[in-house]
Amino acid sequence: MHGLLNWILWLPIIGMVVLLCLPKGKDQAVRVTALVTTLLTFLLTLVLYMNFDTTIPGMQEQFSIKYQWIKFFNIHYSLGVDGISLPMIILTGLLFFICILSSWTITKYVKAYFALLLMLESSVFGVFMALDFFLFYVYWEVMLLPMFFLIGIWGGENREYAAIKFFLYTFFGSIVMLVGIIALYYATGKGVDSFNILALQGGHFVENTISVFGSTFSFERIFFWAMFLGFAIKVPSFPFHTWLPHAHVQAPTAVSVILAGVLLKMGTYGFLRIAFPIFPSAAVEYSTVIAILGVVSVLYGAFCAMAQADVKKLVAYSSVSHMGFVMLGLASMTTAGMNGAVLQMFNHGTSTAMMFLMIGVLYERSHHRWIVRPDGTKGYGGLYAHMPKYTTIFIIGMFASLGLPGLSGFISEALIFLGIFKKFTTITVIAVLGLLIGAAYLLWMFKRMFFGEAVEEVKSYTDMNAREIFYMIPLCVAVIVFGIYPSPLLNMMKESVGSLVSLLGSFQ
Amino acid sequence: MLEQLLSHLGFYIPEVLLIILMCSLLFIEAGYGSREKGRVMVYYAAFAGLFLTAIMLCLNFGHDSMYLFSNAIVIDKFGTLAKLIMVVGTAATFIISLMVTDFERELKPEFLIMGVGVLIGGMLLVSANNFLTLYLGIETLSILSYVMASFKRSDSRSSEAGIKYLLYGGVTAGIMLFGLSHLYGVIGSIQFTEVFTVLKTVEGTKLASVLAGFLLFFVGIGYKISCFPFHMWTPDVYEGSPISVTTFFSIVPKIAGLSALIRITSIFFASNNELSEFWVLFIHLIAVATMTVGNVSAIKQVSMKRMLAFSSIGHVGFMLLGIVVIDTVGYGAILFYLLTYVFMTLVAFYITAILEDYYGTDTMASFKGLVKKHPWLAIIMSCTLFSLAGMPPFSGFVAKFNLLSAIIDKGYFSLAFIAAINSVIALYYYVMVTKYMILGDVEFSEKAKTVNFNNQLIISFLFFPIVFLGIFWEKVYTLAQNATIFLP
Repeated sequence: MHGLLNWILWLPIIGMVVLLCLPKGKDQAVRVTALVTTLLTFLLTLVLYMNFDTTIPGMQEQFSIKYQWIKFFNIHYSLGVDGISLPMIILTGLLFFICILSSWTITKYVKAYFALLLMLESSVFGVFMALDFFLFYVYWEVMLLPMFFLIGIWGGENREYAAIKFFLYTFFGSIVMLVGIIALYYATGKGVDSFNILALQGGHFVENTISVFGSTFSFERIFFWAMFLGFAIKVPSFPFHTWLPHAHVQAPTAVSVILAGVLLKMGTYGFLRIAFPIFPSAAVEYSTVIAILGVVSVLYGAFCAMAQADVKKLVAYSSVSHMGFVMLGLASMTTAGMNGAVLQMFNHGTSTAMMFLMIGVLYERSHHRWIVRPDGTKGYGGLYAHMPKYTTIFIIGMFASLGLPGLSGFISEALIFLGIFKKFTTITVIAVLGLLIGAAYLLWMFKRMFFGEAVEEVKSYTDMNAREIFYMIPLCVAVIVFGIYPSPLLNMMKESVGSLVSLLGSFQ
Repeated sequence: MLEQLLSHLGFYIPEVLLIILMCSLLFIEAGYGSREKGRVMVYYAAFAGLFLTAIMLCLNFGHDSMYLFSNAIVIDKFGTLAKLIMVVGTAATFIISLMVTDFERELKPEFLIMGVGVLIGGMLLVSANNFLTLYLGIETLSILSYVMASFKRSDSRSSEAGIKYLLYGGVTAGIMLFGLSHLYGVIGSIQFTEVFTVLKTVEGTKLASVLAGFLLFFVGIGYKISCFPFHMWTPDVYEGSPISVTTFFSIVPKIAGLSALIRITSIFFASNNELSEFWVLFIHLIAVATMTVGNVSAIKQVSMKRMLAFSSIGHVGFMLLGIVVIDTVGYGAILFYLLTYVFMTLVAFYITAILEDYYGTDTMASFKGLVKKHPWLAIIMSCTLFSLAGMPPFSGFVAKFNLLSAIIDKGYFSLAFIAAINSVIALYYYVMVTKYMILGDVEFSEKAKTVNFNNQLIISFLFFPIVFLGIFWEKVYTLAQNATIFLP
């Protein structure tokens, strides 16, 4: 099993190189190459899961790989996996496979599109596996390049603006984080482990101070916020969410799925892996602020979603709202809340991916996404009668998204509320309202799109074809199975989350 | 005495070689008249000469640091590395001038001759060990540059560039001389070694006039590296000059000026606390102002050359951060930055030059839809721009990382945050070019011209280090860190 992480990380790149070497005009071969690559990668992540020992909390103990990269700075190429990153890795593998299938109809620069998707997959794996802070940063940044081009070239009408806004926002967050990374390196005395994320964890920086613009601050607080900014922009938490609706609306379907399904999780993953364990006392101190930002995201995202006339924008804002729940779970710093947060990261990944994919399927037929057109007329209406299969799958995704008991969203949200209730009672009560509004905007959207009199053009839509149903099946299964029986996921993350909670607990 | 001088000459071979090269280029050109064969011969000779010089410089790495010619010149690893980067940059600019038609072919040999002359001046400046040699270096560097700026005789902007460069250069050189005379008046010597000894104990009113002297001296250097507030000439000269000359200007004088500034700082300002505090504060302010002014002004530029000019000002501001730390780590980081910057500049200007050749303009308009006309150029150009902005996995990121880590090590956090914000501004205008090249939907009426294979090959060669140094940078970085300055 040694080297498995390397294979998962580099297989997409190998696939990308093969794909780029294919002769011109062989679009079908390009698609198949990408599909096979992502399928193999996904299978490898499953192999990783089978061989994963859930009783080990640490990230360094299993499958870890470590080579020296830059001796001068003690930078290592070092990878590892634990109970928090494993669900994310599996989710990444699954979603990229599905995205390749859903992008079958792309005809513009086919080769470049699939090459960039594969490059993106590799860098996302890199973020979830990196144990070295420098390596983490490199992957964190490299990911922006394919994303920028994927939105900017294959996106909608206003894609250039959306791509640049996304790029600049994220770059701003990460360069501030870079200052923090370097500061940590010197704060630990440039030792062998100064870029080692795990060695930095545990709150070694409580006593340090720094001076910025002439005044002295606590090292821990300043850099907790520096890291927080980088991750919060990625999540995105209110008030750093403004890039998200643009990016989502303009991005092609597959890229929206990746963006909502995986990339947003990198932000919360950053909290779990870096901001919280490295600066535990600041995290505990500011947990109220995080909770408030979380609850504002929940409500603000939900209200914004309700006001949207564009269904994709609606789902984009619902992502802001659902990621707010993850923030709440993180702020609770209790076992239940943290587990709920990681579970919600996974479950939101599957349910929101379903929603975006379904919207993509509809868009391919209608070429618009209006629930209500700007002139006030209906965009769809009566879809249920003309697309029964579509409606069935859409219902599953929608109810998972609004947290219906029995589907996956419910369990994670329940766990989060369970964990946070004692610590922030008022905030919990307000946040529950978010669920209500969530149900309201989703059901209202459903009513307007699927029921009622059908618009003339709806009658000509064909129902989902075999390929489309095929790639929705794994997500439907995940949503239903983990809604009834979430134990495999919870077992996977239990130990790792537990050790983080006990670390934070010792600073409370 | 003569024997000693002759033995010193052994360590001065690279410069001597260049002088011989310059003279022989003159003779070759004169001998062949204006025939095509002569031009080719001049190019062959120039490449051979530069290659030999580079080898000699590599050999010099093995020697210990030493003073030559009665302390007028110092040979050390730092200077040798800086010279090597300059020679590589010069050779690459010569290739660009061979490949593009930015000015009359008849003048190309003259560009080479003067280029080698400027290179000699730059090398003199890098290894100067007294104020007189330093001044001599700057003047040799400048006087030939004035002529080079106005090579494009048919274009009035080129002549304007030459005159502008000349006027600015004349005034700043005068101010610099004035400052140097001040220093001589107070200290009583022009030898760096002696000045160093005196400076250790200087205080009171003497300190004030020494400071005034150094500030006036900085005017001359600041003009050469185009830092705020002496940067105003840069966009006009960069835009007006033929593009191979512009590329040359953004490489050789910059490296030479920065190296001289580093040498001065490390010799004089590491010993006297009061003096060094003031100097650090001064460079601090200059660095912040330079990068902010450069980056902010670059945003609204339409001409690619002007944008690169302003962005080069931003980069100089960034490099000055390495001087603030007054530490070899910072100087090493600057050398590494210079090396990567040379390649990024070369690629960016080369591609601009090709497009200017094809479409007659260097405005953003000629970049519109580039990916459809010349996909390879568009990809390389956008990667280079991302590298300039400091995105991994390209070498520009590593260079920025090293500089940031040098200043954070000394606890200059506010400076680090300002630099970070500047990087975001820089990314904005670089990304805008990428937007024009790749994202926009453009329909063309005319058929795209094919880029000649040699051009693509050379660009790919120049691009290779940008990627390579972004991943395997340890060896080169260690080399830059070990290139120490010979301190008295």
